[in-house]
Amino acid sequence: MGALSDITVIDLTASFWASAGTALLADFGADVMQVEEVKGGKKEERLPGWDLLARRNKRRAMVADDAGLRATIEEADVFATDLSFPELEARGLDYDTLAAGKAALIYACASGFGPEGSDRDLPALDELAAARTGMMPVLPQPGEPPVYTGAGQMYSSVMLALGVMLALHHLEETGEGQRVDVSLFSGNMYGASLDIQAYLAIGGERLLHPISRLDAGNPMSGPSYPSSDGRWVTLTMPDTDRYWPRFAPVVGLDPADPRFDTHDKRCEANRLELIQYLDGAFCRQPAVHWKQQIVELGLSGDVIEAYDYPANDEEARRNRYVIDVEGSDSIGLPIYMSETPAAMPAEARAVAR
Amino acid sequence: MNALSGIRVIDLTMWFQGPVAGQHLADFGAEVIHVERPQGGDLGRGVRSIKAVPVGDWNQYFLIINRNKKSLALDLNTDQGREVMYKLVAEADVFLTNLTSENLEKWQVTYDHLREINPRLVYAMCSGFGPFTKSTRPSFDLTVQALTGIMTRLGEPSQPPIYLGMGSGDAMGGLMAAYGIMVALHARRKTGRGQFLDASLYGAQLFLAAPTLQPYLATRDETYSKQQSRRNAPNPLSNTYPTRRDAPQERLEVGEGDDAGSEDDASRRNAPAGRLYDDGGGDKWLFVCMPNNQDAWAKLTTALYTPELAADPRFATPEGRAEHNAALIAALDTVFAKQTAAEWIYRFTAAGVVAAPINNLAEVAEDPQAWANNYFTKTHCDEVNRQVTVRGLPISLSKTPGSVRTLGPELGQHTEEILTETLGYTWDQVGELKEAGAIL
Repeated sequence: MGALSDITVIDLTASFWASAGTALLADFGADVMQVEEVKGGKKEERLPGWDLLARRNKRRAMVADDAGLRATIEEADVFATDLSFPELEARGLDYDTLAAGKAALIYACASGFGPEGSDRDLPALDELAAARTGMMPVLPQPGEPPVYTGAGQMYSSVMLALGVMLALHHLEETGEGQRVDVSLFSGNMYGASLDIQAYLAIGGERLLHPISRLDAGNPMSGPSYPSSDGRWVTLTMPDTDRYWPRFAPVVGLDPADPRFDTHDKRCEANRLELIQYLDGAFCRQPAVHWKQQIVELGLSGDVIEAYDYPANDEEARRNRYVIDVEGSDSIGLPIYMSETPAAMPAEARAVAR
Repeated sequence: MNALSGIRVIDLTMWFQGPVAGQHLADFGAEVIHVERPQGGDLGRGVRSIKAVPVGDWNQYFLIINRNKKSLALDLNTDQGREVMYKLVAEADVFLTNLTSENLEKWQVTYDHLREINPRLVYAMCSGFGPFTKSTRPSFDLTVQALTGIMTRLGEPSQPPIYLGMGSGDAMGGLMAAYGIMVALHARRKTGRGQFLDASLYGAQLFLAAPTLQPYLATRDETYSKQQSRRNAPNPLSNTYPTRRDAPQERLEVGEGDDAGSEDDASRRNAPAGRLYDDGGGDKWLFVCMPNNQDAWAKLTTALYTPELAADPRFATPEGRAEHNAALIAALDTVFAKQTAAEWIYRFTAAGVVAAPINNLAEVAEDPQAWANNYFTKTHCDEVNRQVTVRGLPISLSKTPGSVRTLGPELGQHTEEILTETLGYTWDQVGELKEAGAIL
């Protein structure tokens, strides 16, 4: 039995991120009816494989008119949509209209910039939200173009599913439905939590601009170093005292070297000198050597891999993080549950209406 | 009433991934009890600097991800401490942890131990690599992100790999765990039983990489896994462009500018991306976000005042623009460099070109759109006895909204309250626990 098998969702989403959010509900057994509009509907460039993730485990329905759609929504527990606010209002699919017909409805809205404010009607594009979040100029090396990661929207996907579950919990306790709002902007901002919050609390120029990898705050936690075969190695040993006695010899240093024999010297007084030293040291051996040393000595760090790593990683398969869907590899099920596990994607079936 | 009123969560976590999962639940009204060792507590309390900048007079790192929580200082190395934990487990709905299995075994707080005490308990693990991975290697955010492959595909070719930002993977892991907990609580309603769940950092970060990892998995096409230069973006109409630097302008404060200024000023203030200023830190970039079609091309060339580009036969069709993308981007780079970002946004707004200035963290901090939706909020910080700005609620619920009621508690601030009021200990018993070193 799926954890959410008693929940029905009418899913009028078209964008990858919003549909991936409702797919998280479907993974746990919710009956998610993805509505495809006979006329028009939102168009989005869809990359290969996106639908395998965003539409899995859902049923599909064609709905001819909004009156029929409203009637269908009244029978459901949840209505999820990424249509723009003006369109929802124009079509009588806004919260007030639908809640008048069914007070217990959970109405989940996936927008670009949230329901309030003068920019609520801006297009829901992850690029616009990312540009606005403040992280793009910080990510590259100094002097390089700002970086768009594309990942910000995925926080919004999970927030959509989480918001629905929070509202469902309240519904079950009280019988009261409500409106849930998440946006690309809120997801991008949440993903940048620590950077944004650090700036809010501390301020200053350094946090606004890219920081060279040779100027990292902790030589042993955060920076990447190139190895002799051109692959990169990154280290994550924030509490350097714990690792230093084992790490120093690996890079050809005496743990008692007076330049680096305390955490404060490594991370403050002689921080830049240590980074320069490590940059030279890592260049002397290939990545496989560094990986071996990290594993054998119980250090923390790794070789920075490319997508072929998770694609071929047995642990990713064993944990169902990468699965086979309709003969193609796909991102799988990120949450394991012992009693009500997420289902393997079933072939979506078209339901004519 | 809060969405999660009546839900009690034991939050045996530290650093970021685990605590932020508890924070989501606490924001919506769950009673979240952050259990910390009496000696120093959560290691996140010890953060002294961020990117080599001292944290200042309040440690936002700890105080924000542990907001709305209670703190119970408990030594699980003692028999008495574990006994308190077991009593609390009997009264709890959720047990949340991101500690190592080694510690959980040592303290006898694994799922197998705790479900014997409370079969209705939802036990949420934020592991590094998943329940079917027998690995004891450390799982820091960055180390796991390095394995997902996303870092390698970002930035210009030949540039070093790029980390998505401090705690970016932990933030996703915590969000997944919070979602999993809510799903398990729903299931419990039907089955009457709790269960074990694991939302690992690896699984969460693979999901985070989905927009490009998923196409790669489906096709094995290296376009999705290798760095792609902006100079060769397949659609030049959806790309980043540097503009002319402006003289530094005075920063506009939130809420300022409501009075009617000049029409020009008003238009700029109403530009789609909010306030603009040049902080003197470098070129201001724009993100132009248009599809490669004839309508968008006409709008863009009109707004850019570039009849020569509009007339260039190489760029006359979508196919031509895609084929000659490098030449078109080079030409557009030259055009964009002639005006400031503010000027371009003004023109784009008039012409219907969708674009945004690429803002920095100072600008998002003042973005009225973020404030209007409570993505930022202000709250009192006891540590410094003043109002501070904190990130707000990324999920809005209309009838049971989340809130920031308190920032992170002092170590052990609620120990006595929990022991006496929740667990029914007498003050004498509390004294004995203190004597034994089981509590702070």
